[in-house]
Amino acid sequence: MLLQGAAIFSALIVLALFGFLVYFTLPLFSEGQFMELFSWHWRPFHGEFGILPMIAGTVLLAISAVLIAYPVGLGICLFIHGLGPTWLARPVLFLVHGMTGVPTVVYGFVAVFFLVPLLRTHFAHGTGFSLLAASLTLSILVLPTIVLLINTQLQQIVPTLRMTTEALGISRVHELTRISLPTASYGLLAAAILGFGRAVGDTLIALMVAGNAAQIPGSAFDSIRTLTAHIALVVATDSQSTIYHSLFAAGLILFMTTTSVNLLLHQIKRRVYREEQSA
Amino acid sequence: MRKRFDLLIYSWAWISTFAVFLTVSCLLWFLLSRGLPTIGKELFFGDASAWEAISGQVRVWDALWPACVGTLSLVFLAALMAVPLGVASGIYLACFATTPFKRILSLSVELLAGTPSIVMGLFGFALILFLRNTFFPDANTSLLLAASCLALLILPYLIFTTQAALESLSDEYRLIGPSLGLSQLQTVFHTLLPASGRGILGGVILSLGRAAEDTAVIMLTGVIANAGLPHGLLGKFEALPFRIFYLAAEYQNPAELNSAYSTALVLLCLTGILYGSALALHKTLEWQWNQH
Amino acid sequence: MRSRFLSGLCSAIFLTFFCTLPAVSGELDQFTSLQGKIDIAGGTAHIPVMKDAARKIMTQYPRINITVAGGGSGVGIQKVGEGLVDIGNAGRPVSSKELSQYPQLISFPFAVDGVAPIVNPANQIINLNSAQIKDIFSGKISNWKDVGGDDAAIHIYSRDEASGTRAVFWKKCLSKGDIVESANIVPSNGAMKVAISQDRHALGYMSIGHLDATVKPVALDNVAPTQENAINGSYPVVRKLFMNTNGAPEPLVKAFINYILGADGATSITRHGYISLK
Repeated sequence: MLLQGAAIFSALIVLALFGFLVYFTLPLFSEGQFMELFSWHWRPFHGEFGILPMIAGTVLLAISAVLIAYPVGLGICLFIHGLGPTWLARPVLFLVHGMTGVPTVVYGFVAVFFLVPLLRTHFAHGTGFSLLAASLTLSILVLPTIVLLINTQLQQIVPTLRMTTEALGISRVHELTRISLPTASYGLLAAAILGFGRAVGDTLIALMVAGNAAQIPGSAFDSIRTLTAHIALVVATDSQSTIYHSLFAAGLILFMTTTSVNLLLHQIKRRVYREEQSA
Repeated sequence: MRKRFDLLIYSWAWISTFAVFLTVSCLLWFLLSRGLPTIGKELFFGDASAWEAISGQVRVWDALWPACVGTLSLVFLAALMAVPLGVASGIYLACFATTPFKRILSLSVELLAGTPSIVMGLFGFALILFLRNTFFPDANTSLLLAASCLALLILPYLIFTTQAALESLSDEYRLIGPSLGLSQLQTVFHTLLPASGRGILGGVILSLGRAAEDTAVIMLTGVIANAGLPHGLLGKFEALPFRIFYLAAEYQNPAELNSAYSTALVLLCLTGILYGSALALHKTLEWQWNQH
Repeated sequence: MRSRFLSGLCSAIFLTFFCTLPAVSGELDQFTSLQGKIDIAGGTAHIPVMKDAARKIMTQYPRINITVAGGGSGVGIQKVGEGLVDIGNAGRPVSSKELSQYPQLISFPFAVDGVAPIVNPANQIINLNSAQIKDIFSGKISNWKDVGGDDAAIHIYSRDEASGTRAVFWKKCLSKGDIVESANIVPSNGAMKVAISQDRHALGYMSIGHLDATVKPVALDNVAPTQENAINGSYPVVRKLFMNTNGAPEPLVKAFINYILGADGATSITRHGYISLK
């Protein structure tokens, strides 16, 4: 059956992806160079190929982007569901929808020529290409993901509650913070996780704005390099050496990170589903 | 006490919304004020005449035209590969798959959706290395490879939206077919698909937008800065998002920087139109349901 | 010693190659009967010259397609060695390690270029001695005031591992000393120029051919980094620019290389700030 074949093919692609990454990372294991990857220094000219700074950079950047975007996203959801004027709710939602259509490279471009010089002149510290610049830009990228997910949850909850709470004279803030948001807790969690997943996977903003120094940043104004940017930077160097295989190791780590994020989300979804069934 | 807490939450909501509104306006103002003045024939075709350039009589230099053609052919090819596959998988998941099987399939589609685009690009790059070492020593990064990797990238979106569009149909629709004695397949093709056509189309357009904007995949699979018009499936090509990335890093003079602003604006318009029409389709769909 | 031997070998190959070619009259005439494609990648210092030649050739002969990509010298050598491109450019000689990996590589030097330390035009610094530069890049000196400039942190910009410009600067200016890990990494000569021109406190290095008014070259031990000083030997951080092919080039690629090495190519090389070997 053709349809089934198509579906199975689509599913198999994931396996193929994983297989290829493992296949190309394998030489690292067999040649005993694997441990070399887990060093804190990337100095190819001195024979050091550690990708730990990139892993740290990726995690730091993704977490800080979510930390910036999450409160703002939650605020927007509250605005849409009662704390802002009703006539503004739709335009705001429209705006957030529109943001999903902005190409990543455009965000990166504007950050390079607008945000980076701004940071450089206003904080006389560092080059502007920094963890801070990248996480601010990246937070704009993950914001719609967070808002839309929380919004979908609230859309199912708020309308059913509003009539009751209004009749009981409960204030909007009270209703949202004490009843609606706790009810939507899985959605809130899922939004944070999904936002993190998106932030980890982004390449362009990190590559264009974060400065790409393979180091552990001492402050938010320091330059960092992410795994994604690392792949983009070294994709075509010397094909026999450790540098080259570290590329696929970086890809494998990225793939496994996003896969675990999605498995986690899947579990959450199933638990919610089951609770709905039993309720 | 309560008043103060309320006020705090209210101002938080307002400030967040205002901040995002301000950010987006800044972005648009920044691009428009710098990019709009350079938009014109010169930007797209350089010193060639528009007609000669479009008909391919004259090669275009230092202008957007090759990148536009590159992006369009990329999106077209990716859609050609991904749409049939994605829609078919979506139909299967929505109408035919049995529960345990369906769970495994949807899980792997979810995993595919979560895969970073640079990993998809790396996959394409690895594929070429693999092919060169085994069957095709002449395999090289190219338009075809980039389009295939983009197709993988947009495949999960297509599957999700098709599945969602079919599953959102009311049970009445589902029962029309069987009540007329149609087989499951006939039901799908004669009643369900026509009814959810708009939703599926919306998903297709959305995925086109995704394919048009992605940069990380094509960076690893064959895009380069100076290729001219794409010549054939196995040739290198230019693309709009990569051109923005390239110019941002390496503009040689202020004129090139200005053209980067307008290129960003052009790409924004392209994806804006695609997303806008997907949204409009979605809206008319909702409206249609509300009429029922 | 080895690199001298290698460059000697390269020039020898280049000479024998050049002598066996038939004399050409019109520079572009040699392409008349040719068609097909040439993919070029590698050193970013080469891009303006390559683009120029590609434009001239492709305008006259629509059946020839030439694509020009960057990536860096290491990328150029690797890609041409693997057969992914037809010409791999490099701003440094092919290393012995690379040659043992790709024994068929043939190098065609076509221009001389220096690598200059550069700062933002707003910076007062006009000269640094080599000890100062080494200390700055290794992180021992981190403030401009220690070398006679403003009281501001020095923002170091460097290139990625594939860069020939980096390799030459590291070897001939830094004497293979350390480069701090906190240095910002940019992927090309063009990107270096953009970054330095926007950052008042920046220090970087790039191909002399790419210099323009947006950045300021710094004299090294009181020798100004100009192509004149590069060619008369007083400025030490100098390299040749090479085109590399894997084995003897095909007719079209051969014609392209001849064109770059010919009079038209020389004009273009000079116009873009490099010194032609002609």
